[in-house]
Amino acid sequence: MENQYFHSVILKEDRCIGCTNCLKACPTEAIRVRDGKARIIGERCIDCGECIRLCPNKAKSAVTDSLDIIKRFKYTIAIPSMVLYGQFAGNVGINEMLTAIKRIGFDEVYEAALGIDIISNVISRHILKKPDIRKPLINATCPAILRLIQVRFPELIPNIIDIETPMEITARLAKQEAVRKTGLPMEEIGVIFISPCTARMTSIRNPLGIERSYMDGVVSMKTIYGEILRNLNNGPTENLVRGTKDALLWPIIGGQSVSLGIENYLAVDGIHEVIKVLEEIEMEKLEDLEFFEGMACIGGCVGGPLTLENPFIARSRIRSLAKGLPGNQPTDEAVAHQIRMYEDGFIRLTEKIEPKEITRLDEDIAKSIKKMEMIKEMMKYLPGIDCGVCGAPTCRAFAEDIVKGENQKAICIVKTMENLKNKKNAGNGKEGQNVNQGRE
Amino acid sequence: MEQMKYTFNVEKDDFVLAGQASSNIKKLLRQLGIDSGIIRRLAIATYEAEINIVIHSLGGCIELEIDPSYIRVIAADRGPGIEDIDLAMQEGYSTATDKAREMGFGAGMGLPNMKRNSDRFYVRSEKGKGTVITIEMALKAGA
Ligand SMILES: Nc1ncnc2c1ncn2[C@@H]1O[C@H](COP(=O)(O)OP(=O)(O)OP(=O)(O)O)[C@@H](O)[C@H]1O
Ligand code: SF4
Ligand code: SF4
Ligand SMILES: [Mg+2]
Repeated sequence: MENQYFHSVILKEDRCIGCTNCLKACPTEAIRVRDGKARIIGERCIDCGECIRLCPNKAKSAVTDSLDIIKRFKYTIAIPSMVLYGQFAGNVGINEMLTAIKRIGFDEVYEAALGIDIISNVISRHILKKPDIRKPLINATCPAILRLIQVRFPELIPNIIDIETPMEITARLAKQEAVRKTGLPMEEIGVIFISPCTARMTSIRNPLGIERSYMDGVVSMKTIYGEILRNLNNGPTENLVRGTKDALLWPIIGGQSVSLGIENYLAVDGIHEVIKVLEEIEMEKLEDLEFFEGMACIGGCVGGPLTLENPFIARSRIRSLAKGLPGNQPTDEAVAHQIRMYEDGFIRLTEKIEPKEITRLDEDIAKSIKKMEMIKEMMKYLPGIDCGVCGAPTCRAFAEDIVKGENQKAICIVKTMENLKNKKNAGNGKEGQNVNQGRE
Repeated sequence: MEQMKYTFNVEKDDFVLAGQASSNIKKLLRQLGIDSGIIRRLAIATYEAEINIVIHSLGGCIELEIDPSYIRVIAADRGPGIEDIDLAMQEGYSTATDKAREMGFGAGMGLPNMKRNSDRFYVRSEKGKGTVITIEMALKAGA
């Protein structure tokens, strides 16, 4: 673990006006407004990017690499997320986009589709056939959902499919091939992911489920968009497509379930909806469910926080591009080899995903109970309207912060006003009336 | 010893709020740092008790009692009571209406599930008076 507290989602302080819009949108209550600025509690943040999408002042942003990262390596490989295919209007073909990326200065371009077909084969022909798997299986493709499960649904960790993400698998294969081809040492070869996703950036610096990522950098799709555009139709087009029809649909919610050929599946997009369904799964209410596909963004990765195009438009473009591609029909030998890579741990989640107790009040249960009593006591006096002015998303979170000693300064304005009013009413009838009138 | 109690009301036929009590209990226990396996089992059992109050009773409440050595959930309602507890405890026994069954309730698995998911489980019921279900989880060895 390089940096346990690294997060891709950050705040641009000068832009934040402390409006509290982001407070309630955060699915893990990781944001507080302090001294007029939104602070992210690193321990709680799962990098879903909800606040980036939501901030009216564009104060939330993502740390990604600049294109200069290419210069750090002797040989560079770009892996664009297939979400990219939905970002260009008109009749731009996949080969044209991939060629344009190469022209920016990469030595090679690999589609993430390569990894997808492998995952798909290994899950449907191997993992699903194991007798001891815990159902429903849960996809490991969305890192924000993985972290969500880690902090909110630790009982579901064993249901997560222990296979790496498409980008990671593609990165590994691409790097190996480049070493073979160029004779360069691994460190001289840079694999750069072109990402729609903030959570993916975090996963590379601070991996979950694997020891170390083979990706060396992440460039935001928004950042590289202009460069690609400039390089489109700028010379002969190379034939670089390797993806299949099935693979292309993975960034669209439901695409994974369909390509795995699982009948009893549930595909849910949007982090708040995913939370609701995971609650049901945790309570064993969805009995016969075999596969749960949960994606943090609306529409799937096409709705990622670092994309430019509306997710529904992107989805329809990707669908029409997919029509021209062949289906995934691997040979038995190829599949056998892929299964071996999984069994050998090369494309598998080999590190244990540990639960993370972010809401715990104290290490010691007796002390926790005491603190909970204090919260309960405080709740009797707080107005319960969750206005957010104190800087906490709810009155309860405000009380929790105080009890945990994490809030020394903030006060409840509503309560203070009320007290003031009562005091005035009690002390001086006339003035009290004025205050009342003023509020009506 | 620190100890605390919470009470949640559960109304007859209120399907909108059904599940709220067990969901709140789950959140509270997580904040206390209770083992997630225990939380899950208790939440499943409490949910079944809660739904039974909504479907089969005239309304009642769920009480949560926490002590460093145990957690106790008491689901009590105001009637009509269960006539034959042994029969009600049998897997598959249900008096749920066809309507309830269409909605996915009434498999007759609620009470057996409660028992299976709790460390200690008691049912007391008196015809005409009401039913009291007690679900207990031990927290530390020897508790
Ligand atoms: N609180 C209650 N008050 C009155 N009768 C009850 C109560 N709880 C259970 N019963 C009776 O016991 C029967 C069995 O309960 P149980 O929870 O096992 O099954 P169910 O509620 O009918 O179906 P399921 O829980 O599988 O949806 C019920 O059908 C009902 O007749
Ligand atoms: S939404 Fe959050 S980050 Fe954006 S301006 Fe408001 S408080 Fe600041
Ligand atoms: S849905 Fe896709 S883009 Fe959004 S957080 Fe998950 S992996 Fe990233
Ligand atoms: Mg029942």
